[in-house]
Amino acid sequence: MLRQPRQTGDEIWKTKVDKISAELFTLTYGSVVAQLMKDHENYIEVNKHLEKMGYNIGVRLIEDFLAKSGTTKCGDFRETADTIAKIGFKIFLGISPTVTNWSADSKEFSLVLEDNPLSDFVELPEDAVTELWYSNVLCGVLRGALEMVHMQVEVAFVSDILRGDDLTEMRVKLVKYLEEEVPAGED
Amino acid sequence: MSQSTARPSSSLRRPAILERNLSKGRSNEVSVAAYAFLFAEMLSYATKKSSGIQDMEKKLSDFGYRVGIRFLELIVFRERPGRRDTRLLNVLSFIHSTIWKTLFGKVADALEKGTENEDEYMISDNEPNITKFIAVPREMSQLSCGAFIGGVVEAVLDGCGFPARVSAHSTATDQFPLRTTILMKFDKTVLQRDKTFEAR
Amino acid sequence: MASNSYFVIIGTRDNPLYEAEWGPQARGEGGKKEEHKHLNQFIVHAALDVVDDLMWGTNSMYLKVVDKFNEWYISAYITASGVRFMLLHDAANTDGIRNFFQDTHELYIKTLLNPFTEINAPITSASFDTKVRALARKWL
Repeated sequence: MLRQPRQTGDEIWKTKVDKISAELFTLTYGSVVAQLMKDHENYIEVNKHLEKMGYNIGVRLIEDFLAKSGTTKCGDFRETADTIAKIGFKIFLGISPTVTNWSADSKEFSLVLEDNPLSDFVELPEDAVTELWYSNVLCGVLRGALEMVHMQVEVAFVSDILRGDDLTEMRVKLVKYLEEEVPAGED
Repeated sequence: MSQSTARPSSSLRRPAILERNLSKGRSNEVSVAAYAFLFAEMLSYATKKSSGIQDMEKKLSDFGYRVGIRFLELIVFRERPGRRDTRLLNVLSFIHSTIWKTLFGKVADALEKGTENEDEYMISDNEPNITKFIAVPREMSQLSCGAFIGGVVEAVLDGCGFPARVSAHSTATDQFPLRTTILMKFDKTVLQRDKTFEAR
Repeated sequence: MASNSYFVIIGTRDNPLYEAEWGPQARGEGGKKEEHKHLNQFIVHAALDVVDDLMWGTNSMYLKVVDKFNEWYISAYITASGVRFMLLHDAANTDGIRNFFQDTHELYIKTLLNPFTEINAPITSASFDTKVRALARKWL
């Protein structure tokens, strides 16, 4: 890769991306979460559903991402992390989370979201604070998208300012590189 | 992967929505693609949870209604605090221009009165920007976008005190295959009231 | 605060979403606290009909005093989405009440934007209550 991921992401965001009101996005996601709560009444189930929705998004979004970014192959997992943070997040959500807290074996890292358009306006109800991961859809998106480029990962939030934590942090762990045959995605 | 090490989370440290500044955030944007992907999942969820097309449209309209009521309060707060619309045409023009612009980046393409029934009005968009990007069959995406937008419109009309039966229709032309029309059929009381106050 | 006031937010189905009282009467001075409360609710309900009528004759959210009942004035305000703020008060204070309504409206919008707030459901947030009470001390 000749150019720095940050430059690439910024440039695509500026020149190639059709944009829409972030507040429409925020309120629509809120409407989805509200419906899930109505239908499930159990935050753990809501987390699962959000992750699954994200997975479905991820397996489809990767194509759009590759086309827009011109990314071919990421070298190692560290390069993958940078590409996700500085290009992926940037060209879809207009934000660039910080990549940090690498494990010694370079198979695990954290994404710290300083700004999260999903959770503007949100205040968790008291009983949801220890159970609901409001932005859990993002975990699914990463899992689905990376699976399509032959990486099996586990992704989960470990903290969220909505819960009163200092940071909003997702942990991404590489389980293994997959062979070319990839399942076509879950229902 | 293990769940969070149960850190004590103090309700004092959680972001307080009441401390937010409502005027800010106007310039923030996300990609239409991100919105379209989210919308497609919302559609797929509504489809799975529904017994048929009508039920699905109702669910999507509910999704839109929740968004519409909130947008109405937010937009009015920013654009003209303290003021309300009290005449039907003003409310319609507010939806056609201000609401559309905030939601879709441009005003709607047409605002018309029904030709056959005087209690009907229509707002049309040649190409709702969400529809274009949704990766489902065209008729499906148009139907669902229409139902969602219809829900937003219904919420605004309800909120302003102009209750109507709102439905979405495909009004495709050769030039605009995605053209969508939101049909609003108003309660009798709304039209009567409008006439009364017009006469004053 | 020497004067008495009773504030209620009414949803679009004429259902109360939030209520609060201030002044000697709310503190139970002079007794009959419950009785006062019922009377307040009764007065507000009657005034809603007046609001329904008056609201179409003005473009303003703030309707000022819409009704009077014995020593009580009833002031009203309508938000963009049709939620009504009703205030019973026993002293005239047009500008203070306007400010109180406007600031409370902003709190209401912030509360409504939260996806966990259901449209037309009672507002139970303790911080909302605290803030509204602070606004009442400031303006009423």
